[in-house]
Amino acid sequence: MFATRSEYDRGVNTFSPEGRLFQVEYAIEAIKLGSTAVGIRTPAGVVLGVEKRVQSPLLEASSIEKIMEIDSHLACAMSGLTADARTMIDHARVTAQNHAFTYNENIKVESVTQAVCDLALRFGESMDNEEAMMSRPFGVAFLIAGTDELGPQLYHTDPSGTFVRYEAKAIGSGSEAAQAELQDKYHKQMTLAEAQSLTLKVLKQVMEEKLDQHNVQLAQVTPETGFEILSEDKLKEVIEAM
Amino acid sequence: MSPSAQAPIRHDFNPYTENGGTILAIAGADFAVIAGDTRQSEGYNIQTRYAPKVFRLTDKAVLAVNGFAADGNMFVKKVKQRLEWYRHAHAKDMPLHAIARLIQTMLYAKRFFPYYVYNILGGIEEDGTGAVYSFDPVGSYEREACRAAGAAQSLVQPFLDNQIYFKNQQAAPGSPHPAHLPLNQVLALVTDSFTSATERHIEVGDGLEIYIVLAKGRNSNELESLKGVAEVTTASEAIATGERLFVLRRELKKD
Amino acid sequence: MSIMSYNGGSVVAMVGKNCVAIASDLRLGSQALTVATDFQKIFPVTDRIFLGLPGLATDVLTLKERFRFRVNMYTIKEEREIEPETFAHLVSSTLYERRFGPYFVEPVIAGLGKDNKPFIAATDLIGCLTLPKDFAVSGTASDKMFGVAEGLWEPDLEPEDLFETISQTLMNAVDRDAYSGWGAIVHVITPDKVITRTLKSRMD
Repeated sequence: MFATRSEYDRGVNTFSPEGRLFQVEYAIEAIKLGSTAVGIRTPAGVVLGVEKRVQSPLLEASSIEKIMEIDSHLACAMSGLTADARTMIDHARVTAQNHAFTYNENIKVESVTQAVCDLALRFGESMDNEEAMMSRPFGVAFLIAGTDELGPQLYHTDPSGTFVRYEAKAIGSGSEAAQAELQDKYHKQMTLAEAQSLTLKVLKQVMEEKLDQHNVQLAQVTPETGFEILSEDKLKEVIEAM
Repeated sequence: MSPSAQAPIRHDFNPYTENGGTILAIAGADFAVIAGDTRQSEGYNIQTRYAPKVFRLTDKAVLAVNGFAADGNMFVKKVKQRLEWYRHAHAKDMPLHAIARLIQTMLYAKRFFPYYVYNILGGIEEDGTGAVYSFDPVGSYEREACRAAGAAQSLVQPFLDNQIYFKNQQAAPGSPHPAHLPLNQVLALVTDSFTSATERHIEVGDGLEIYIVLAKGRNSNELESLKGVAEVTTASEAIATGERLFVLRRELKKD
Repeated sequence: MSIMSYNGGSVVAMVGKNCVAIASDLRLGSQALTVATDFQKIFPVTDRIFLGLPGLATDVLTLKERFRFRVNMYTIKEEREIEPETFAHLVSSTLYERRFGPYFVEPVIAGLGKDNKPFIAATDLIGCLTLPKDFAVSGTASDKMFGVAEGLWEPDLEPEDLFETISQTLMNAVDRDAYSGWGAIVHVITPDKVITRTLKSRMD
């Protein structure tokens, strides 16, 4: 098995005879090692939840940032090599701001997702006119949440630059179990509170540590107030109400 | 003196021309009217009696362009191209306020070699109201209820101030001035403005093109009875977006 | 900077049914600086003729005195009041005397002639006469007044309607002119009286 791969998994831009790009596939594998992230869309808004792996009691849990704002109406949760996410989120933010500058309107969720995916496959190209090249695929997957004229939406992107819209989606190490649970519990007319609760329930099931307000993070995007990260106090309330 | 010893002759190239004409737009509560004459001139010469200055951009946006005709035509072409790209990237028509901002950025991008044109954008906003946006050549813009631009701006604008904004008129007690006029009155004012401008300005005349954008669901009764009105939107377009676009053509004096 | 618009100011005259009206703003400026807001540019010539003199203020004052002198001389010599047509030609020839060093004014004349026939006239700064049937405009807001008057004016207006038409024409035009405005005055000349009103308008 390794014998057949070894020739073709070196070059990032080289297809194998079976028509596969191994480096991209490996990058997708890298996501499966990442911490779990969950997203749920409801008619009232989108909820994002992530587990923070607090590996040491000396680690400041609040410094782990796995949910980020792209624009006031757009958020994203990540799993995988979160360092790679910096470049991509920066690109998403610039795209969103450029859109607002040029058109005086919020960019659509699908459009910003497309912009992120455009970047995903630009490895091997030099970026921002610099000499340095991004020499490998980005090892990170996103759940992009947002609201626009089409209502609240949730998108999933992976290192191949593919994006799909979901009602509810889990990524990361616990994604298989989490996705099964979402499929079981999700219904279309959920309230935002129900979605928050379900997000935590799903995370709780797949996390090794005991879930508390320090080792998870919840965020939401609603048409009324846009992007918000829930405070630890608010998080504690939701956990207790579970 | 031999010819070669003569002082060199300096030839200046002026990249701009002023091609005359006038444009005008008025916003109603649920419609917008965008008009322009069709004469194109250079100095005292009439180049053509029919050069449109008013262009359909989308089902709900119409752009009038006045000044240097070459720049105007190229600018409209580039705006249309950007609208097409936007349709491909975002799977929808660009809303009116977004077109207004786009025009600003496109004009300002050429801040130091400007398009020598005054733009007036008219149409229907996303909330269904009629809107007019006016621009200077380098992109400064503003939403207004009415605006005239071009050769006869100075003749038409004060007339519009009086008739649309009721400037220098005192409202009768208990009946304040209306914020928007009905379509038939607006069309009468547009026609009067252009016949006046034609009478007193040599660069205005020949033909008049009035575009009328009706908001979703608005009846077109006033237009049915008018002579020379044609619907620009096809039946399927009108069903798809709801807005309807009409053009009304009138003759103006040719002297 | 044109000397014609150094001080600013505008005048308009209109024909009505057995009446004429003449109106002006009251601004005197020094380019963009407003110096006075009570500067008269319209002067009575006889009981039935008024003369509007928009242009360079110093020439306005000089010419008003010259015309007073010449009209007085005419009245004494002819032993009758001057007719509007005659006065218009007096204005024309007075200005043409200075063909190559002109007064910088473009006068407007309004009056009632024999049988109360309405008469208006305007000349350029060297006295070229125009005798419009409807209205005459002059001054820094002339193009604006052309536009508004062309839209508002109609034939055979009664004195009160003529007053409204000329007032609206003047005010809306000068409101779009930085060099004119700051109040206005209107004279409506009818067979039996002259109605003079000062208008409240935008002061900016």
